[in-house]
Amino acid sequence: MTTTENRGGLGRILLIVGRLALAGIFLFAAYAKLKPQAAMPWSGASIRTSLSMFAMQVDSYQLLPPQLVSPAAHFLPLFELFLGLWLLSGVWLRYSSLVTTLLLGGFFAMMVRTYRMGLEINCGCFGPGERLGPKTLLRDGSLLAFGLAVTMGAFLLHRSRGRSGGETSATATAVSTPQRAD
Amino acid sequence: MSLRTESLRTRPSSRWIIALALAAVVVILPTLAAQTSKVPAHTRAASASDPATAAAPMKSLGNKNAPITMEVFSDYQCPSCGNFFEVTLRPMINEYVAQGKVYLIHHDFPLQMHTHSGDAARWANAAAKIGEFQEVDAALFDNQNAWSANGDIEKYVSAAMSPADFKRVQAILKPCAPPAPTSRVDGSAPQADHACPVDQYIVQDIVLGYQVPVKATPTFIVRYKGQSYPASSGIVTWPILKQFFDTLLSQ
Repeated sequence: MTTTENRGGLGRILLIVGRLALAGIFLFAAYAKLKPQAAMPWSGASIRTSLSMFAMQVDSYQLLPPQLVSPAAHFLPLFELFLGLWLLSGVWLRYSSLVTTLLLGGFFAMMVRTYRMGLEINCGCFGPGERLGPKTLLRDGSLLAFGLAVTMGAFLLHRSRGRSGGETSATATAVSTPQRAD
Repeated sequence: MSLRTESLRTRPSSRWIIALALAAVVVILPTLAAQTSKVPAHTRAASASDPATAAAPMKSLGNKNAPITMEVFSDYQCPSCGNFFEVTLRPMINEYVAQGKVYLIHHDFPLQMHTHSGDAARWANAAAKIGEFQEVDAALFDNQNAWSANGDIEKYVSAAMSPADFKRVQAILKPCAPPAPTSRVDGSAPQADHACPVDQYIVQDIVLGYQVPVKATPTFIVRYKGQSYPASSGIVTWPILKQFFDTLLSQ
């Protein structure tokens, strides 16, 4: 195997690792928002309570009118869970990573706006108790860059496949992720 | 050689993407690890309900046996705290505190950056000593802009109570010399004037705030059925807070 083949394989492996890492981060974010926030077992009531707590964090951003806060707080953790599972599956990676990156971009823009407004609130990114500040901005900015890298990698991979005319090899299949209908 | 394996091999952009991804991982992983290894906030916040360290009970509103207890760490000169009082706490006091659903405890957490917040806390604590806390608490937040500008807290405290009560409050604060205790950025214990009969309550609240930990004001903790929920910071509007309370009460 030549050096260039090794590089291509490495790129593909990194794309898989990046995709799985992004999936893990989103699954963790959803878990942190849905898990019982006090010492109580998982139940419908504990999830409702956790979502109500998350609604308070969404509200503290002072971005949405009260009537939209609760729907947004109920939608976001479930959407994060869905995105995490979608990324994990590897199906239509270009689109899943693009949606993820757009969501991360939205989160980051909202955080920067809040920080510039001087609001001292909890981030709400990975559950309660984490203050919005330079550290969380750096982390979420890095997450955005990471998502962008995975998305660009997914698009590059798709383009190169298009050029190759759909030809496959045993080596590529071995390291490739499911790309159904991608 | 497979054409597919060539997909990412020599493009400068792919090298750039890999570098970007690696750099991002280097930044993300430590902060995520720090987040997951933190002691759960509700474990730490539980100390706020410790009777040995709890603030003087006179700075509380409502029925002590109410199903929900809310502890608020606040600074009388902080604009967000004023806003939180007007937008959230006032309707909450009128509704859920009055109905016996919520027991509200005020903790002083005067910030060092605010020139008059320590003095305002002294006035509030002195008023609490004679059972006039609710009136003075509201008067301080209602007129926050005015006394923050000139430091004339006395004017608004006197307007909130009878002249006789005001004299009693003045008498309590007579031995108090400046500066009033405030929280420190470095988390060190605030200095109290031992001759001042209310400073111990303010210091007690500040130390309690460090334990939560209070990073910004207002910060509040909610307790229900013996469970402490993680501390929240910033302004939460009354409809959303009410929704949270209703969720708890429906359990």
